[in-house]
Amino acid sequence: MAIPIESSPPPGWEREGIDGLLGLFPPGRLSEIVGPRSSGGSSLLLALIARITASGGQVAFVDGMDALDPASAAAAGADLSALLWVKCGGRLRVALSAADLLVRCPGFALVVLDLDELGPMPPSAHVRLQRAVEGGDTILIARSARHREGSPASLVLATRRLAPRWMGLRPLTRLAGLRSEISIFRARPHSLSPLGRGQGEGLKGEGWRWTLDWTL
Amino acid sequence: MTRIACLLTPSDPARPTLLRVALAHSPRVEDAGAGRVYLDASGLEGLFGDEPRLAARLRAAAAAAGVESSVGIAESRIAALAAARLGPGVLVVEPGGDAAYLAPAPLSLLDLPEATATRLSRWGLRTLGELAALPTAGLFERLGGDGVRLQRLARGEDPRPLVSWRPAPLFEESAVCEWGLETLEPVVERLRELAARVCARLGAAGLAADCFEWTCRLGDGRVHEGALTPAVPITDADSVGGLLRLALEARPPRGVVEALTFRARPVRVAPAQESLTDRSRPAPRRLTATLNRLVALVGADAIGAPALLDTHRPDAIALAPYPSPLRGEGRVRGGDRRDTRDASPTLALRRLRPPVPASVTLASGRPVAVRSGRLTGRIVAGVGPWRVSGEWWGPRPWLLDEWDVELADGTLCRLAHDGSAWRLEGIYD
Repeated sequence: MAIPIESSPPPGWEREGIDGLLGLFPPGRLSEIVGPRSSGGSSLLLALIARITASGGQVAFVDGMDALDPASAAAAGADLSALLWVKCGGRLRVALSAADLLVRCPGFALVVLDLDELGPMPPSAHVRLQRAVEGGDTILIARSARHREGSPASLVLATRRLAPRWMGLRPLTRLAGLRSEISIFRARPHSLSPLGRGQGEGLKGEGWRWTLDWTL
Repeated sequence: MTRIACLLTPSDPARPTLLRVALAHSPRVEDAGAGRVYLDASGLEGLFGDEPRLAARLRAAAAAAGVESSVGIAESRIAALAAARLGPGVLVVEPGGDAAYLAPAPLSLLDLPEATATRLSRWGLRTLGELAALPTAGLFERLGGDGVRLQRLARGEDPRPLVSWRPAPLFEESAVCEWGLETLEPVVERLRELAARVCARLGAAGLAADCFEWTCRLGDGRVHEGALTPAVPITDADSVGGLLRLALEARPPRGVVEALTFRARPVRVAPAQESLTDRSRPAPRRLTATLNRLVALVGADAIGAPALLDTHRPDAIALAPYPSPLRGEGRVRGGDRRDTRDASPTLALRRLRPPVPASVTLASGRPVAVRSGRLTGRIVAGVGPWRVSGEWWGPRPWLLDEWDVELADGTLCRLAHDGSAWRLEGIYD
């Protein structure tokens, strides 16, 4: 008879780790992830998509630059069959219209508007999307390289590149990953409730930082 | 005492035939998929004799319908399945003998999820008897309630009742016009009446229809047929009536109509939320309208669910229909995903489509600078080349030398050389 030796510890919820970070995005609000190239913004998006699709949620990905790599998404743990990918071919207005249509269709747990270098989006589009997503359960996240002053986003996360991680000494043998820093650039009230802090406390969460190691 | 018979065929497309055979013998039939049909064999002695005779009769009836099958009868579904699969063709497990019969059977009978099957295999378990002999408390600690359920099945204890199957109802209404209808208006009105009755029946059954068809028998013996396909499945009689009028005005019957038949093709419209604990999904009607607008906006070839193709060619992807008809039960490749709770965060690659031609300066065979339409800079670190190739046996062989490099401004990107030119494939982010 086999003697089972494995045990299944309950999954831990790391408040200070990526779980705490991903729990910040408020439903029914516009959030933003801003940061330069190779700063971990897209990796953060894929981690969020993976968690939402793993829990049975449907995700719409409006891809302004057709840059999504489904292999990376699958490697991050995303269920590709629960992901609606809309390729916009580098057309900003088309991407904004597509995002507007999707946030008005209830049932998506997450709508991502990935503008990257197309952004930042015009102020009028900011306001329109914020109005469209209000009152629903959808998390709307816009990803762009730069932040525009005056945006109505409830949560703005800034990503910063710290250092790549290489395997091997000189000569290097393989790219192992990237270390980046995610900080809360702006947080309006009600957007920090998942951590049990910041409820109605205005901008208290600003400046919180997470250091994450993204693995290739 | 419950007795269950299993009809098993290696040809799953023949399952509807088996269902009809089963329903001719028992009022309670379950469609278990994968070529399996279960039926309640309790209390059938008075009709068909003892169980061996019933089993033989079932097999003969299936053979008469053109389906090769095997039959097993036992107290539980799992034992009946084992008897049908492992037996000589017709096998009856005596009452009370399920556990003993199942003991040497392989674990694969349980249709285990891959992760559970791997885990049990690592524990050294091969047969249902070995699983049944494990301490229940320890199994619960390691596999949770699912482990206990599997162990009960391995012991031949199957408390779940049969899920009754019924043939799909026919949603069709007909009318005979004794005096013949010569103009279009009365034809439309009679068809609208039939459509209203069909829609009422659809609504009562909790169904909708994605296609409506009608047939008009004409006075000279010809038949006029028509169909309409709404954008989304509907049951609203007024909407169907309006669409029907438009369709008939566009293509009216050419002759006197003597008889009318109207039928609907029923579909089950999935609710926005399958159960209390499930996350909500977009409502089908809203989703269809949204997808149609998106198709008009970006084109039909730019929207869908991404799917990875079964090749090592970089960026080999396709767009599958969304929402996926699999609904999470079977996955396209890419479903071999990791448990997100245990996964370390993964570094994403942002693809450049198409790859951007680049000019790369080499020193001692290694790239030291890159110039392209998207990125330009000095390379401060890099690894490679990683040679990838494939499909050399086909008409489109490919070969790439890939490099992961870091530019002076900190950008991490992937370069590739296809033997003749360099290109920028993507940027890590």
